[in-house]
Amino acid sequence: MTSSPDRPPLELRAIQVPGRMAPRLMEVSLQLRPGERVALVGPSGAGKSTLLAVANGLLSPEAGEVLWNGVAPARSRRRRRRQQALIGTLWQDLRLIEELTVQQNLNAARLARWGWPRALLNLVLPLDTAANAAVLERVDLSALLLGQPVTALSGGQRQRLALARLLRQDPLLLLADEPLAHLDPRLARELLGLLLEQARGRRALLLSLHRPDLLDGFDRVVALRQGRVVLDASPSELTGSQLAALYRSEA
Amino acid sequence: MTAIPARSWRQLRLAPPLLPLLPALVWLPVLLMLPAVFHGGGWDLIGQFARAAFSPSLDPQVLGSALSGLGVTVGIALLGWALSLALGLLGGVLSSRTVWRTATGSALPAAWMRRLLAVPRAVHELLWGLLLLQLLGLQPVVAVLAITIPYAALVARVVSDLLDALPTKGLEALRLAGAPAGPALLTALGPALQPGVLSYGGYRLECSLRSATLLGVFGLGGLGTDLRLTLQSLQFHELWSGLWLLLLVMLALEALLRGLRRRWAMPARFGLTHRSVGRGGREVALGLLLLLPVLVVVAMALGVNPLQLGQLQPLPPWSADWPAVAALPWPSLIGSTLGLTLLAAALAVGSAPLLLLMMAPWPWGRVLMQAIWALGRLWPPPLTALLLLFVLQPGVLTAALALAFHNLGILGRLLLEAEESASVLAEEALGAAGTGPRLALLYGRFSVLARSYLAYGAYRADVILRETVVVGLVGAAGLGSLLLEALSSFAIDQLIALVAVYVVLTLVGEDLSDRLRRRLLAA
Repeated sequence: MTSSPDRPPLELRAIQVPGRMAPRLMEVSLQLRPGERVALVGPSGAGKSTLLAVANGLLSPEAGEVLWNGVAPARSRRRRRRQQALIGTLWQDLRLIEELTVQQNLNAARLARWGWPRALLNLVLPLDTAANAAVLERVDLSALLLGQPVTALSGGQRQRLALARLLRQDPLLLLADEPLAHLDPRLARELLGLLLEQARGRRALLLSLHRPDLLDGFDRVVALRQGRVVLDASPSELTGSQLAALYRSEA
Repeated sequence: MTAIPARSWRQLRLAPPLLPLLPALVWLPVLLMLPAVFHGGGWDLIGQFARAAFSPSLDPQVLGSALSGLGVTVGIALLGWALSLALGLLGGVLSSRTVWRTATGSALPAAWMRRLLAVPRAVHELLWGLLLLQLLGLQPVVAVLAITIPYAALVARVVSDLLDALPTKGLEALRLAGAPAGPALLTALGPALQPGVLSYGGYRLECSLRSATLLGVFGLGGLGTDLRLTLQSLQFHELWSGLWLLLLVMLALEALLRGLRRRWAMPARFGLTHRSVGRGGREVALGLLLLLPVLVVVAMALGVNPLQLGQLQPLPPWSADWPAVAALPWPSLIGSTLGLTLLAAALAVGSAPLLLLMMAPWPWGRVLMQAIWALGRLWPPPLTALLLLFVLQPGVLTAALALAFHNLGILGRLLLEAEESASVLAEEALGAAGTGPRLALLYGRFSVLARSYLAYGAYRADVILRETVVVGLVGAAGLGSLLLEALSSFAIDQLIALVAVYVVLTLVGEDLSDRLRRRLLAA
């Protein structure tokens, strides 16, 4: 898939996702410019995870339009998969494959681009060691971990591995669903720093989080409440009272 | 920068997702060998058989006969199952180390009981059926006993394993507080044992229905007899009337047991690794109480009379010729039986995940695959063997394909159950990153399933070894075909020797598969 330099990596136009009691998303529009770093905030149940699921194609909206790199999701499964290969998600529960090694997990990020022979070979032999070592280094992990089973890693190492896997995928759009939840403050800052660092060039970042104290490094903050966008501003414009109002109903 | 570890061929290692697919490699030599096994004709018969599936006979007489045959099969299955469960529970308690240690202070009697119960377990229900047929003549009680004897021994083994795996701290506390052995055992272990026993008991009912059909194929009554006769007389439309009815009953039973397993929070069968607490004790007790009058009515309707057990048939005269028995080609007989077992097991264990993977992108393909698996489960292997003989020559490969088809149906269903209960998260994440459905399934879910599936496959191989006897009728299939010959010609000396060899092989196989299973689950 070719990517034009000025096309937004992600554009949502008047997205609607129904829910059981109330709509999960109502008329949500959002555009991410190339290289832009956007924080998605809002109380629990505001629709942040739903929005990210629409953004990575896991959920199809009932109404509205999703554009990836300026193009609607293809109907052909093969072409759609090629589009999704350019969207990387950092999951809150990481979703590492516990039974595989670090190297195999990193290579799993390339499966959308690999054919069967390579995908099978990855389950037998260590492949692309240099490229994997390079992404591990970018997240401050040692290449010596490549042959280790994922189960041997500490909590912090697992977070970094999940991020390294995302880099190995080399996506145009980085999505992260509450990646800092359950992390101690030091680790949360470190991981956020790494994430913000990766959004450069054309790669944009959309990250949902609960902590107003960590918004500094972002270009924009988008706030959701009850499935609607209620605020879209730069972090410097954001006031304490606005944030307090956003979370007040939750309390 | 840290040094990058160099790649070496010593790092070659199969990752878990590939393990369940490994046995499917056996298809390569099988496909190479198959052309030589075709005898050139019979395809029109296979075509007629397949077409008849869509136009089963609806003649009231045919349907009436099939229904009454089905009634006998279900009745035999129900009685054999209930008796085996009651005796198996008793046997299980009597062969439990924990029970003996608590009651007498020594676990030695448990070890002896286990050894004693190994013999009836090692002999397939078909053999029991044919032996009892010689002793008692043709009557429904023969089929019921043929199921009861080996099944009771199997249930006993599982119950004692479950009992001995339960934590004993509660039991020790009760004993220290002065409770007598019986009440202490019942209070401390009874409730914890219940979900495992119920889940396994339900599974045995499904097996019992399959066994009752199989016994019918060998003339012990019920629908199986009709199926074999209609197949041999090429009445495919009538054959399918019976098959569809049997399929309906089997699927209904499976659905009922699945529902009960969920309702009573019983553990999944796969690998028997996850145990839950279980609930619905009152409902379970009520269900069992209701079952008793049903069993009495079924026994009366079938004409099962326990008094007939005392009336033995006079045996024909026989003389032992042990040197002739010793001169039998034992190494080749044993070799071909083991070869048949391994081939059938590899085909069945490997094909289920391979098919699941191939069908991953197509929901309709999955439905079709499930339908074929259901047919494989209910269709007794000797009938598959007979069907294959339309196009293939008799031999080990034909017998292996017949056994594999049946076991593929059983393994496939278990794999699907496990696949549905395994976490979908990793697979979903791979899919969201553009990975195709097959690779996402392989990496995301096979990783989790691999070991427990193979552990179950090891147990299945052990069952297949026992089942080799049922495909003996396609000839050249090792000990099984000689055993059936010895039975029909009443060569008791050969029969004794062959059964003894079967028992030893089965027990060794059971031990090996147990070790393999423990290793797989521990890894």
